[in-house]
Amino acid sequence: MATEQQLDFDRSQLGVEYPAGAFQVRKEDILRYCKAIAERAPVHTDEEAARAAGHPSLLAPPTFCAMFVRAMGRPDIRLTFGRTSFHAGEALEAHAPIYAGDTLSAATRLKEVYAKTGRSGTMAFIVWETSFTNQHGELVASVQESFVRRD
Amino acid sequence: MPRYFDDVEMGEELGPLETTATDASVREFCEVWGTGSANRFTDHEAARKEGLTGAIVPGIMSMALLSQLLTQWADGGSVKKLDVVFRQLVPHNIPLRIVGVVTDKNQVAGENLVECDVYLETGQGDRMVGGKATLSLPRKE
Repeated sequence: MATEQQLDFDRSQLGVEYPAGAFQVRKEDILRYCKAIAERAPVHTDEEAARAAGHPSLLAPPTFCAMFVRAMGRPDIRLTFGRTSFHAGEALEAHAPIYAGDTLSAATRLKEVYAKTGRSGTMAFIVWETSFTNQHGELVASVQESFVRRD
Repeated sequence: MPRYFDDVEMGEELGPLETTATDASVREFCEVWGTGSANRFTDHEAARKEGLTGAIVPGIMSMALLSQLLTQWADGGSVKKLDVVFRQLVPHNIPLRIVGVVTDKNQVAGENLVECDVYLETGQGDRMVGGKATLSLPRKE
């Protein structure tokens, strides 16, 4: 049974922040995203309605920026535990609105790696945290992704 | 019509929002996401080669579906936090129900916050994705 102390990975990467690119928030992507999830709130689907509601342009749905996380190149943390990996959870915190036309800068860091033992055995959890800042230097969102590795 | 903090009651139910993640809607989502080529999310055969019974809905799409319930319910408000756990793989083309319940309400630093539990279930009530959300709502003048 692996414990947190016994997990073998590159601990020097804990907390190290990596710039993870710039991302354009495009109106057409917001509209396609809304179409895919059948989002109908006018502030997300109709630019005029968004402006009438006091927004400068189309408002991105709350979870929109989570899509950018996949495109980030992350370092291999060289975790030796487990053979299969899956996405266990995702946590989003919205700090400010994201609009069509924004350019977001992202930074990502390895937040924690820990072991947990349950009825199905021991699993290793790898947690990455990514923050998004807009072109005005304002923190707009934080996204935390948890992945599980198990035998 | 805006939903006001003043009118929200503990135990109040959100939804249900009934939806289906179809092959086409998942493909559209994946194209925006940048994963439009054949893979476990977009192609049943590719998914079967990975040992799955068929193509599955990406976790962040399930999360987006949950957030849709929140944006629809919290008209005039905003989603501050959404924390989800992917309990089971979500297949394409089955009826899904998205439901929630208000668990707490607080005023913090001038914000009117409502806490909710939210779930994405099958039509039979089997919970596949679960989460907790914090919403900010306006108050009546």
